Amino acid sequence: MLIVFCPNCGPRPVEEFRFGGELPSPPESITDPAERDFDQVWMFNNVAGIHTERWYHDAGCHRWTTVRRDTRVDRIVEQHVSLRPD
Amino acid sequence: MNEFVETLLSLTWHEPRSSYDVVIIGGGGHGLATAYYLATRHGITNVAVVEADYIGSGNSGRNTTIIRSNYGIPESIRFYRHSQVLYDRLEDETGCWIMHATKGLIWLAHTESAMRAERARCQLNNAMGVETVLVDPVEIKRLCPQIDLSGGGRYPVLGASYHVPASTARHDRVVWAYAQGAMERGVHVLQQTTVTGLLRDGDRVVGVRTNRGDIAAGTVMSAVGGDVTTIASYAGVRLPVRTHPLQAFVTNGYSQGFGPIVSDTELLCYISQTARGQMLIGHEYDREQSYSRQSSFQFLQANAVKMSYLLPFVRNLRILRQWTGRCDVSADFSPIMGFTGVDGFVITTGWGTWGFKAIPAGGEQMAELIATGRTPEMIAPFALDRFAADHSMADQGSTGTR
Amino acid sequence: MRAPERLWALRVVSTPEALDHAHYEGDVIVLRIANDEAIAIGAVHAELTDEHAIVEVESTFVGWDLSLAEFDEIVHRHVEWPLPAERPALAQGLVAGLPLKFWIDHDRVLMISSNGLVHEVVDRLGVPA
Ligand SMILES: Cc1cc2nc3c(=O)[nH]c(=O)nc-3n(C[C@H](O)[C@H](O)[C@H](O)COP(=O)(O)OP(=O)(O)OC[C@H]3O[C@@H](n4cnc5c(N)ncnc54)[C@H](O)[C@@H]3O)c2cc1C
Ligand SMILES: [Zn+2]
Repeated sequence: MLIVFCPNCGPRPVEEFRFGGELPSPPESITDPAERDFDQVWMFNNVAGIHTERWYHDAGCHRWTTVRRDTRVDRIVEQHVSLRPD
Repeated sequence: MNEFVETLLSLTWHEPRSSYDVVIIGGGGHGLATAYYLATRHGITNVAVVEADYIGSGNSGRNTTIIRSNYGIPESIRFYRHSQVLYDRLEDETGCWIMHATKGLIWLAHTESAMRAERARCQLNNAMGVETVLVDPVEIKRLCPQIDLSGGGRYPVLGASYHVPASTARHDRVVWAYAQGAMERGVHVLQQTTVTGLLRDGDRVVGVRTNRGDIAAGTVMSAVGGDVTTIASYAGVRLPVRTHPLQAFVTNGYSQGFGPIVSDTELLCYISQTARGQMLIGHEYDREQSYSRQSSFQFLQANAVKMSYLLPFVRNLRILRQWTGRCDVSADFSPIMGFTGVDGFVITTGWGTWGFKAIPAGGEQMAELIATGRTPEMIAPFALDRFAADHSMADQGSTGTR
Repeated sequence: MRAPERLWALRVVSTPEALDHAHYEGDVIVLRIANDEAIAIGAVHAELTDEHAIVEVESTFVGWDLSLAEFDEIVHRHVEWPLPAERPALAQGLVAGLPLKFWIDHDRVLMISSNGLVHEVVDRLGVPA
């Protein structure tokens, strides 16, 4: 079973959360701003590997958290990822 | 003897050649049907279907086999109706018994807004020559005597749209029928052969890299289901596709006959009876993207509860097996077929949780595209470039998800 | 075991620092439901250093006052995730499919649900209505 770590409430079964999807991140190779916008709206990285994604803790604190998950084995490899640039 | 052990198949396996006119990645229904129609309709037989595991090991051998055309946009209705017609002829054409049975599909509605949507669906379907009729609770009870119209006191049934030509077929027999038909005509099916990269000549794709060596090709087609993002990335093609798990389960045998397919547009679950008498139950896809094929207890629990509201008899059945597929869900919930913008590389994807019904038409149309180098009119609306052209084919309401 | 009681509280949304140093009037239980939000049960007034804090009366929760024995016997087996070890502590999450909160003290547990879900809690856990 997939366990998501909520920074406020602790480790919980995935059923407590709503999936917020992967963070859109057009590849660096796309430089044209209009093309980046298009990619951001429609395209998905959808990697078989490490996926940066958002979860909403519906049954607990009602807060979003960002994690990195390995989509091949459904395990979270990094919890509580900060989205603020250092 | 077990009727499901195929004894009549005559499949001849080959070692890979170094080059083919067409290499199709993925030995699921779409890949094999494309090979079959290339051979039978266009005389193109110098073709290899490259399959990482065994044929039908992907979603084509894991689905709940519902074949229907009660979609919500004209282009889709026409395409899926055509696929139904090809399915109707498939046993005669291939000489293979695919256990094709017309059952009718009841799409239940519990609210006025769902009834409005089903009313609109009926009108559009009929305008397109597809028989889908609005039915009231009395008629639903006649079609499906086991149903509890009060929905366990929680989900009273207001009505339904009844899609008359809906059918099912044995999924791996469909895969085998296309494989046999293609192989008899000279197509090579290479099992246990994994594509790990694409061969490029400048901007063009000119073949595939596999664990058994490189294979050159005039045209490469990707038909890999949920793994499409990985294959497309080898060609530098970005896709509006997310890979989601879809689960299903079967119970032990139910001693009565259960005629129709019953689906619930609001509880998002559906049920039919297999040829063995088992009840086959499915649900919408798992919310998070994933490539793991793990099944979950949560899915069983949620589904068993919902089903027992509608069909109280399922409470007395036991769950025998549960499994999961890896589905290529497109951003607008419609398929993506055709050219990719990269020469020599074409694609069939976006089949999500709904592509079994599309195997004959998808294969036929992609074969024509490869053979003629032109997009057939029927699938032109489903080209990848529709997203950039702002012509998305949004029809989520017809896919049984929300 | 007693029937549930309506809980009168203040819901406070503010900065984590201001919430750490907040003062409430009365005999209060402070549930820190997120780093920037608290529910102060029994509070009638909140004193905060954050001038932008949002303070609202919160009257949609009900609570069951359970002895530890009652909690262990009736509720604990439905909790499928680890409870915090310190006392007192807040725990919140799905229990028997319902979003519940627990204020776990040394000798008692306050089990909290939203008023609209009381009948479901009663149905699924077998606690008094
Ligand atoms: C539980 C479930 C229920 C469903 N129910 C229905 C339904 O009732 N009706 C309906 O119409 N549709 C249904 N679907 C959807 C349907 O099964 C799929 O859309 C359809 O089977 C897709 O066929 P395909 O040939 O594109 O893909 P697949 O059958 O998945 O075939 C892709 C193949 O590619 C191979 N492959 C992947 N990567 C590589 C590689 N690198 N190299 C070589 N080979 C590779 C895989 O091994 C696989 O065999 C359901 C799906 C699931 C999972
Ligand atoms: Zn939380």
